[in-house]
Amino acid sequence: MSLDFNKNFFELFSLPIQYSLDKQRLASRFRALQAEYHPDRFANASDQERRVALQSTGYINEAHETLKSPRLRARYMLELKHVDFDDERDTTQDMSFLMQQMEKREALEEAAQSADPLEAVDAIAKQVKQEQNELNAEFEKQLSQDNLAEAKEAVLKMKFYERLANEVKSLQEKIEDEMFAS
Amino acid sequence: MALLQISEPGMSTAPHEHRLAAGIDLGTTNSLVASVRSGDATTLANEQGEHLLPSVVRYLPDGSVVVGAEAKAVEVSDLNNTISSAKRLLGRGVDDIKTLAGNLPYTFSSSDSQVPKISTVAGDVSAIEVSAEILKALKNRAEKTLGGDLKGVVITVPAYFDDAQRQATKDAARLADLNVYRLLNEPTAAAVAYGLDQGEDFDEKIIAVYDLGGGTFDISILRLNKGVFEVLATGGDSALGGDDFDHVIAEWILQQLGDEQENNPTKLREVLVEARRVKEALSDADKVEVSLGDWQGQFTAEQFAELAEPLVKKTLFACRRALRDADIDKEDVMDVVMVGGSTRMPIIRQRVGDFFEKPPLVDIDPDKVVAVGAAIQADLLAGNKPDTEMLLLDVIPLSLGLETYGGLVEKIIARNTTIPISRAQEFTTFKDSQNAMTIHVLQGERETVEENRSLAKFTLRDIPAMVAGAARIKVTFQVDADGLLNVTAEEETTGVKSSIEVKPSYGLSDAEIESMIKDSMTNAQADMELRKLREAQVEADRTIEALDSAMASDGDTLLSADEKTKLLAAREALLLEKQSGDTEAIKAAIKNMEKTAEFYVARRMDGNIRTAMAGQNIDKFKD
Repeated sequence: MSLDFNKNFFELFSLPIQYSLDKQRLASRFRALQAEYHPDRFANASDQERRVALQSTGYINEAHETLKSPRLRARYMLELKHVDFDDERDTTQDMSFLMQQMEKREALEEAAQSADPLEAVDAIAKQVKQEQNELNAEFEKQLSQDNLAEAKEAVLKMKFYERLANEVKSLQEKIEDEMFAS
Repeated sequence: MALLQISEPGMSTAPHEHRLAAGIDLGTTNSLVASVRSGDATTLANEQGEHLLPSVVRYLPDGSVVVGAEAKAVEVSDLNNTISSAKRLLGRGVDDIKTLAGNLPYTFSSSDSQVPKISTVAGDVSAIEVSAEILKALKNRAEKTLGGDLKGVVITVPAYFDDAQRQATKDAARLADLNVYRLLNEPTAAAVAYGLDQGEDFDEKIIAVYDLGGGTFDISILRLNKGVFEVLATGGDSALGGDDFDHVIAEWILQQLGDEQENNPTKLREVLVEARRVKEALSDADKVEVSLGDWQGQFTAEQFAELAEPLVKKTLFACRRALRDADIDKEDVMDVVMVGGSTRMPIIRQRVGDFFEKPPLVDIDPDKVVAVGAAIQADLLAGNKPDTEMLLLDVIPLSLGLETYGGLVEKIIARNTTIPISRAQEFTTFKDSQNAMTIHVLQGERETVEENRSLAKFTLRDIPAMVAGAARIKVTFQVDADGLLNVTAEEETTGVKSSIEVKPSYGLSDAEIESMIKDSMTNAQADMELRKLREAQVEADRTIEALDSAMASDGDTLLSADEKTKLLAAREALLLEKQSGDTEAIKAAIKNMEKTAEFYVARRMDGNIRTAMAGQNIDKFKD
């Protein structure tokens, strides 16, 4: 049976179109879909069947990655509501938010120089995680009230937090490596 | 096989045709081939009973090649024409070689090709061609042992291999005329070999595979769930291996020797050989006697542990990073699989066990475990086990992205994303009436273009004239199940679509592959012609010898002077043609000789019967 590419990502994984995610279900449905469509299942099939398998699993994997990530899932839900994203131009205009982000980066640099850098950075990591959760909740609230512009604003801010979280992570790695090496 | 087979999904048409399949571990130092026979996956040996094929290829002046132990034996005496560790060069560009070449004894030729070529007496060869020779040798071994043509193979690659290196591996397989079912990450193959999916007492299980080979180190974190293997994260160092452990011992020996030996390549080689022996001996002993020429010394496991510490630590860093990428705590790792000959070192087993807080799995020969796993997967993909649910899901080892303004890289597909995957991103023009856009594809984790690996660069042309920012250029990345990338770009707004497909810069172009395949076919053709010529020449010699010996025995009694002259003329003509190198002409001359001698043969047959009856023996003209 061929994969129905008209299904949206939620339908593909038999999940309700909602922001809160049943991770168990996502994982088990992902394995079931892979078991059915993966190119390895078509190793001896015709070229055409193998191309179809490649496209099918490509679609399944993209759906999986999108649903798994809180930011991409939020963005996708807005796209289903015909909200456009322009990756190169869209950014938040919220100046106080941008100031906050800069302050956080500075705090991160200071933490790295402090007496116990790992503890200081870990504290920031915890805070970042909490604020990310708040932002996700904000998105869910705006979406439920059909405030699409506000919801999009939340998604754009999520991107900033994602970058920040990545920086925190690589800094943690760096500090740990240094401690481990000494 | 029936012309048309109709079957329900999951039901095999009986009787099932067993397809011959093999798993190939194409290693830096040694290569192996394995296959599933009567349900058991085993590595296949050559006629001498050796399983490991040294990954060494020697090129001879007449264009023929020698692969394996025989080539390795002359590595030192024929350095320029004997290529080892070709895997390190697979998928590398000319620029990479400049940094690597200092450590390599080969002469690189300057050519127009993107692929660096090594100069040998048989002409210039690329790492892909060298690897193809190794694959051919393994293919021959498998087909001889299994008694038939291979329908398909699974070839393993380090999980850390980037797109260009995977492409190069596939190109080598194509040259060796192998149908590749799948490139499989080496650590995944090892987990499959241990059958870690077989236990029933768990829902989900996390496995770490620690693979320290001769020249590369890989760490992979896998998750197993109901027969599905998922690679959660991979990491490692493509320039760290057992050889580096030899080097630390070698350096210690050189220090003890104390004189200026660094510039003497022969001496260095001797030291390395001794270092290797010492390392291997330390697997079974706490201290080892070291001797080199007049000098004698002793090296202990403790000294080794101290000297090798930076190397061991490097591997453990990578383990930590992979765990972090996978978002897995050390305590959640249920099994640690050891792969690669270098994991025989007690120091490695000890430290890895300490790190993961559990003894690592070492039951299967660490040299063979990858090939065994690949064979199991090949058997499955060949369709020989229709009831098996096992499925291997791989991730992409390095992020893929595009160059954006300021020399920065925008990641399109993050590392450790499950493959196959396709992802599109939109870009726009930044100038009015801009009609072309350069797309630069990169692989790696760093932020700037210079720090990542450039895979391809191409230009999308014929963009319709629009104001800046109006065009919508959609760039699509598609990565297949083998981890190979395809990039297309198109302009969407006006419905005018231009698109282009790219291959990595360090792969061979299709034209290059075609010509190599053609060359190898021409070579095969040439080989066959040469053999036919040899056969004809031997046949000519035999004919002449037979005539000479017949004439010596009874020529004077059975032949007139005229007849003799006729036969000798034909003999002369045959002798002349034999030197011509023209197979057909030689054959014609043999025929002519035989025809001319027909009456003589008949006469001798009569004589033969008479002499036979008289109890005497005479040389036959024809056998």
